[in-house]
Amino acid sequence: MCRRHRKINLVFLFLVLFFCVPGRSDATHGGSVVISSSSIPKSFNPVVAKETSTTFITGFIFEGLTATDGITQQVKPNLAISWNIDSTGKIWTFYLRKDVYWNDGIQFTARDVKFTFDRLIFNPDIPTSSRDVLSIDGKPIKVEVVEKFAVRFYLPERFAPFLRLMGQEILPEHKYKQIVDRKAFSFSMGLDSKPEDIVGTGPFMLEDFRPGEWVILKKNKRYWKKDSQGNSLPYIDRIIILTIPDQNLALLKFKKGELDMISLRPQDYLLLMKDKPADVKIFNVGPSLGSEFLVFNQNLDSSIAEYKKQWFRNVKFRWAVSCAIDRQTIIDNIFAGLGHPLYGPVNESVPEFYNNRIRKFHYDLRKAEMYLAEAGFKKGSDGLLYDRDGNQVSFSLITNSNNSQRIEQANLIRTDLEKLGMKVNFLPVDFNSLVTRINSTRDWEAVLLGLTGSVDPHFGKNVWVTSGHLHLWNPGSPSSVYSWEKEIDSIFQQAAMIFEPEKRKQLYDRWQEVFCENQPMIFTATSDVIYAVKDKFGNLKPTVYGGLFHNIEEIYILPIESGSSKARKKIGK
Amino acid sequence: MKKLVLKRLLQLIPMLIGMSFVSFIIIQSSPGDYFAQMKMNPEISPETIESMKVNFGLDRPILVQYLLWLKNMCKLDFGVSFAYHIPVRTLIKFRLKNTICLAIFSLVISWVIALPLAVFAGYREGTFIDKIFSMLAYLSISLPSFFVALLFVYFISKTNLLPLGGTRSIFEVDASSFALFKDYMEHLLVPGLVLCLVNVGGLFRLMKNNFIETFNTPYVLAAWARGVPRNSVIFKHALRNALNPMFTILGMEIGGILNGAALTEIICGWPGMGSLILEAVLSHDLYLVMGSLVISGFLLIVGNLIGDILIAFFDPRIRIS
Repeated sequence: MCRRHRKINLVFLFLVLFFCVPGRSDATHGGSVVISSSSIPKSFNPVVAKETSTTFITGFIFEGLTATDGITQQVKPNLAISWNIDSTGKIWTFYLRKDVYWNDGIQFTARDVKFTFDRLIFNPDIPTSSRDVLSIDGKPIKVEVVEKFAVRFYLPERFAPFLRLMGQEILPEHKYKQIVDRKAFSFSMGLDSKPEDIVGTGPFMLEDFRPGEWVILKKNKRYWKKDSQGNSLPYIDRIIILTIPDQNLALLKFKKGELDMISLRPQDYLLLMKDKPADVKIFNVGPSLGSEFLVFNQNLDSSIAEYKKQWFRNVKFRWAVSCAIDRQTIIDNIFAGLGHPLYGPVNESVPEFYNNRIRKFHYDLRKAEMYLAEAGFKKGSDGLLYDRDGNQVSFSLITNSNNSQRIEQANLIRTDLEKLGMKVNFLPVDFNSLVTRINSTRDWEAVLLGLTGSVDPHFGKNVWVTSGHLHLWNPGSPSSVYSWEKEIDSIFQQAAMIFEPEKRKQLYDRWQEVFCENQPMIFTATSDVIYAVKDKFGNLKPTVYGGLFHNIEEIYILPIESGSSKARKKIGK
Repeated sequence: MKKLVLKRLLQLIPMLIGMSFVSFIIIQSSPGDYFAQMKMNPEISPETIESMKVNFGLDRPILVQYLLWLKNMCKLDFGVSFAYHIPVRTLIKFRLKNTICLAIFSLVISWVIALPLAVFAGYREGTFIDKIFSMLAYLSISLPSFFVALLFVYFISKTNLLPLGGTRSIFEVDASSFALFKDYMEHLLVPGLVLCLVNVGGLFRLMKNNFIETFNTPYVLAAWARGVPRNSVIFKHALRNALNPMFTILGMEIGGILNGAALTEIICGWPGMGSLILEAVLSHDLYLVMGSLVISGFLLIVGNLIGDILIAFFDPRIRIS
């Protein structure tokens, strides 16, 4: 591929070499990796289908102009070599690599980028949530081809998260233009496709699949990344992804040696450690990005009793509840000790934005009782808690019935709060009913839920700002809004427009401080991310954000020592 | 006979309409919809969800939606799955083959085991060996299918005799078709044997009772007395008549293919219609559920029809009337 360059641009060369993977003298080409996915991949269309089961697979096939490094979580160049921003901060120009080819042989150019944005993401006929994430205040981004390998974006506002969002998968114009013209794109690239229908620039391409059973990816021989010795990447020939919905079955298969890698739930970890095969390595990479939390309904317009609204809106009541929850017991019982307590909306797995100086309500029953006393609550002679008007403190707690861990957690919380004299009526509710109650009818008192997390706080904006559709404790009602919520609204608005990382961090630090001081969501705990891997791979660098495969192109299978009795794939196919 | 077949096929239509209408209303009336999971995602706006709903036609009144679906059904267009974004027909096609293979396998094996054993035991009624078989049959009847499945899966996992889950373990591109076939059959054995174990007992008992009853009829006694050879008495005179009621059962079993195998499929990890329907119902994937239900109803009627044809074929009395 390098022979096609007309000019040898030293800067270009430096950048190419800098971002190449360092070569390994013992790195061997060849081999397969067998892994499992618990959910059935629903499609191969990265624009339309956004569930993890799909993005797990499309992540190997498609790439964006930038990529988020799996280890440092920094944004790094990918299909784009460099970029610049004009003085207004609204016009971004990206300079693209000239050595990238789609896996069907056609060269990747700026036209493909324009096509992806204009005809796919911002196409009103195609329902995609990418549009929401890439629209700023509801306004779309204008894209222009400057040269064959340069593309310019006109943003309606300054938008700092834009660079990270350029991890958005790019699709080829030559392959999909006609399908889009026929208005059939939403239903294309599905499980009824042929492998040659899925065209991307990534390290792997589709070889074969049977829906609900397996997907086989094979190495993309035209992949542009090379290691520092000029060898083509990826090293591995094939990835075989088996669909195993039952996690217990997956663990069984891993133990038998049918799977090479598996992600472990706490109970799986304990089972595996009991009779761990000798050639298995365990990686505990830290607390997951997800969170679990308790929310009280603080909306003045909701249909719950007025006096209950007064309890939930009293910050000392919420402080007391936060102090009374024994997070360590939750971790020990539900995550088998393999978890971390959570006190705020960002956890230490995102060091770029984590603020460790937030107010943490550690487990302290006496402090909890003190806060309740300050708020006018008193324990009666029957041991039950009453507010200053004599109403008994009793409320209902709901959570989704299809999550057994959350149900266990809710029971533990109920027991904790009963020590304060509160009566908690816990009710597991079907997930669909739960969503209806929270989003539409809004008749709930307390709810235990979880969210997945992201690196940039801006992507969770709809939870934190008053106008967001997931602002659970106080949705949409201007009369209920607190002044601190208004401060958070302004923080999110400003921080999105500031490019300097230190200034952004300052703002988001303040957000976390304000948030934790007022406890609208009382965070409990999160489990650790644990992987078990057969000890036959080199360059494996798992992280919480990147998982096992963020650097899939540089992972290789270690050469077998001579005399090994296990038969493996031949090297250098 | 032709009139019978025609009449049955015509009966299909009102039955399917009634069944689908009731199911449609029930699913739509239950709280929540397919988009519940998406509503809890901070990155997806309510406007996008609304536009998805319009895309799938879910913003129209329920009756209108049903009639549109019915109209498409007449063209054999089962609609599109919300989760998979592809036609329901494609999804069902993939899974149906697996379920049918499983059903045929377990049907054939359980009948091939149960019937000869039943004749054998029936002929030796009251002996020790008959008592053993009857006891085993009772065991088979009383154990629920999911329990047997769980036990079997546990047993296989400890002994590593057979592969568990999925339909294939060989992923080499150059594998021979014989090797692929063998691989598929190995994977089929676990759920197949579970279903056999569960069904064999009931079949055995029924067949044995039929056989004994037939064997004690006057005409069989007469044949015996006339000196007809023993094997002829058993197989030509007694068995052929004893088999009669079994054809009705066969028809019912073919019809019940989808339902019977669902739990077993899910526990053993066999990718068939059972797990497809379960997932579709749990996620409110409307058209996938409806499509699966229609196929299920169709197979039920066709199965019973096959049973009736078989009876007519074997029993001249019915044919003439």
